[in-house]
Amino acid sequence: MKKGLVIFIIIAAVVLGIFIWTKNAYNGLVRSDEQVSAAWSQVENVYQRRADLIPNLVATVKGYASHEQETLEGVISARSKATQITVDPANLSESEIARFQEAQGELGSALGRLLMITENYPDLKANQNFRDLQAQLEGTENRIATERMKYNETAKSYNTMVRSFPKNIIASIFNFEPKGYFKASEGAQNAPKVEF
Amino acid sequence: MSGIKRHIAAAVITLMTAAFSCGAIPQKPVPQRLVNDYAGLFSTMQKYALEAALVEFDDSTSNQIAVITVPDLEGMAPSDYATRIGLDWKVGSSDFNNGIVVLVKPKTDDSKGEVAISVGYGLEGAIPDVYCKRIIDNEMIPAFRENDYYTGVKNACEVLMKLASGEISEPREKDAEDAFEFIGGIITVVIFIVIILFIFGRGNGNNSGGNGHRRQKDGPSVADAILLGSLLNGGKSGGFGKGPFGGGSSGGGFGGFGGGSFGGGGASGSW
Repeated sequence: MKKGLVIFIIIAAVVLGIFIWTKNAYNGLVRSDEQVSAAWSQVENVYQRRADLIPNLVATVKGYASHEQETLEGVISARSKATQITVDPANLSESEIARFQEAQGELGSALGRLLMITENYPDLKANQNFRDLQAQLEGTENRIATERMKYNETAKSYNTMVRSFPKNIIASIFNFEPKGYFKASEGAQNAPKVEF
Repeated sequence: MSGIKRHIAAAVITLMTAAFSCGAIPQKPVPQRLVNDYAGLFSTMQKYALEAALVEFDDSTSNQIAVITVPDLEGMAPSDYATRIGLDWKVGSSDFNNGIVVLVKPKTDDSKGEVAISVGYGLEGAIPDVYCKRIIDNEMIPAFRENDYYTGVKNACEVLMKLASGEISEPREKDAEDAFEFIGGIITVVIFIVIILFIFGRGNGNNSGGNGHRRQKDGPSVADAILLGSLLNGGKSGGFGKGPFGGGSSGGGFGGFGGGSFGGGGASGSW
């Protein structure tokens, strides 16, 4: 009788311990997952900011360099391709991010080519509106770099949590998938460099 | 061929970013200060003057402007470097994210001068990138070309202060000042009541002359109003309020960076 009670208490304590640990681990994962999603939406925000600048930029360049039709159209089509690709924050897998990054990278290099040809138009470079757009574009590229870095850091701490023992057990039971990273890539190399 | 090249380039860039992320940025200074002249561009007097102005601005509006000069950017883009400093040192307050980093790398014989202004999240609305670019182009680079780094930085800080204080202006010792104002207010009210009682008491005492009643009451009230006015003024500036010599800067040094965050806003330039 007494022995049965002791065993019951021990089992109850163990069950309670497991429950509390599971709850904390699970909630920790949820919190970290939310942080990654928030960091991702910041990334999409700044890319959107860049996309929003482009129509204005193209219109301004067109006023001075209308016969650079090919380059201008390249930017427009790269922009529409890039804005079509969005990633569901619930599915930030390696391949999804790579797809997003590739499209944005193409837009980045198209923009780089556009800024390259503007070097040949001194009137355009002296235009205040164009200079302002360049400053905005530069700031936006910096924001993209910063938010990408922040996303990678947040995803790293999440992934560490998901993959390390014993939390990985909870993660696999509740389907917490590791998140993908941004990689230094062609897109990063060809990001438009704005200089005077 | 080009494929291999690309891979090598990617590897180099990955290695470079890895190298950058492990601490090319100077550590947060101890004791904390707003002017960090690692490149030695300012005289001691200039450093103190700039630090005092920035500390006072921090005290009165909570906006933090950190000025950093470095001899070398370690291969990083100036805006990246400035944003990194802002993030690592946590310039600005965590409530407002209202930090600004002004970074200057002087021109040397074999490298061009670089300058960047990085603006915290909270001030991106008040100081858009275009404004930063204009500050750099109009205030800083012309002075830097003349080798006058102090004037360039000082003028830039002045413009930044004007822009930033329009958006966020929360004095540091807000609670203490509120308490003072509250006590001051109570004392003013008490003085006011005492004077009113005094006037009425005297008015009633002189009330015996029937015709003079109106004139008598008007006469002292004008004089007393002047007295009252001066007393109220005296009460406000004398004992309780912040007098012209009790300004924030006498309070002492910089209180420390506050946990602000940066998103990469701002601009850069070179000469």
